[in-house]
Amino acid sequence: MAKQGVMVYCINTDQYRYDRIAAKTVPLLVENLGMPITVVTNEDTRPYLPVMESVDHVVIENQTGNSINGKPWHNLDRHRAYDLSPYDKTLLVDIDFFCYSDNLLTLFDTDHDFLVHDQVHDVTGKDSYNFRRASAIPMVWATLIFFKKSMYARAIFDMVGYIKANYQFYCDLYRIDFTNFRNDYAFAIALQQINGFGSYPVIPTKLCTLPARAKVTSVNDKGLTWHVDGGQGKLEDTDVHVIDKGVAYV
Amino acid sequence: MDISKLKQRSDRAYAIALEKQNALEKAKSRMILAHHGHLFKADAVTINLVRALADDAETFVILDVNDNPVLVEDPKALLEALKSKNQEVLNSYHQLYKTITETR
Repeated sequence: MAKQGVMVYCINTDQYRYDRIAAKTVPLLVENLGMPITVVTNEDTRPYLPVMESVDHVVIENQTGNSINGKPWHNLDRHRAYDLSPYDKTLLVDIDFFCYSDNLLTLFDTDHDFLVHDQVHDVTGKDSYNFRRASAIPMVWATLIFFKKSMYARAIFDMVGYIKANYQFYCDLYRIDFTNFRNDYAFAIALQQINGFGSYPVIPTKLCTLPARAKVTSVNDKGLTWHVDGGQGKLEDTDVHVIDKGVAYV
Repeated sequence: MDISKLKQRSDRAYAIALEKQNALEKAKSRMILAHHGHLFKADAVTINLVRALADDAETFVILDVNDNPVLVEDPKALLEALKSKNQEVLNSYHQLYKTITETR
């Protein structure tokens, strides 16, 4: 039987304690997906990570130099996931993805070699992520990537590495408004190019996302609540990508 | 009714509409079914298509969610799986919908 599991990257910065987010999200992945988890981290972050029976750590020397909103952003090693993954079938997930269901297990029962979301659902109802005019290429969401060890998946990850190395060129070519390196665009470009500028299979659902503007007020093993624009909201039993880094301290 | 009450009512209606929208997205996410390596939506369209084609043929080809053709060799099994998933998800959505709207 194919070895399958979940992989997350967790690398602290001077501004953000991602290990504190991992302490919330990794147990949810273990509980709801019931699979081994591999946490890719660096030497500085490793001592702070949650220790659990089904969780392994892979220590890398992460590349630095990217930023978001003027703060360091350690997202430059995602294309290495193919080589770093110990699994035949891998679900690569952002550390701030709160997994409250077993829906994602469905992906492991498909013949697809590589799947990502190409649609997002803003759970605050504000449609904050309509980036269609921010580039000449439709974006995908690298928050959650399912891949199998295969020539096709290898080609995509290698292509992302190439795009990263020549990112300014691709940014200009595709007229991407964001000048910092974004995996979402790197994977979108790689998928388009590897698929001969044609279409490619995607995860046929929307990625539920809580935007940074919404401040998380509580988290438990069933769901979470938030405040936004004077109102409040809640989700239960629904997977959600939480952008507010303050969730680390809730 | 004074304006503050009207505003309260409007805010509440917005919150309910948003909760309903999120509940619907949750239902749609859960409605995805893997069958023989392909992904399908266990929605009314797929169920009706499989049922209609199964009336006239023992095997037939349909498209999965990514427009890949799939030879269905056991329509009965697929139909049962689709119906079961559809009703499981819609029953949950129905319960959630009742909870949301009862707070009106």
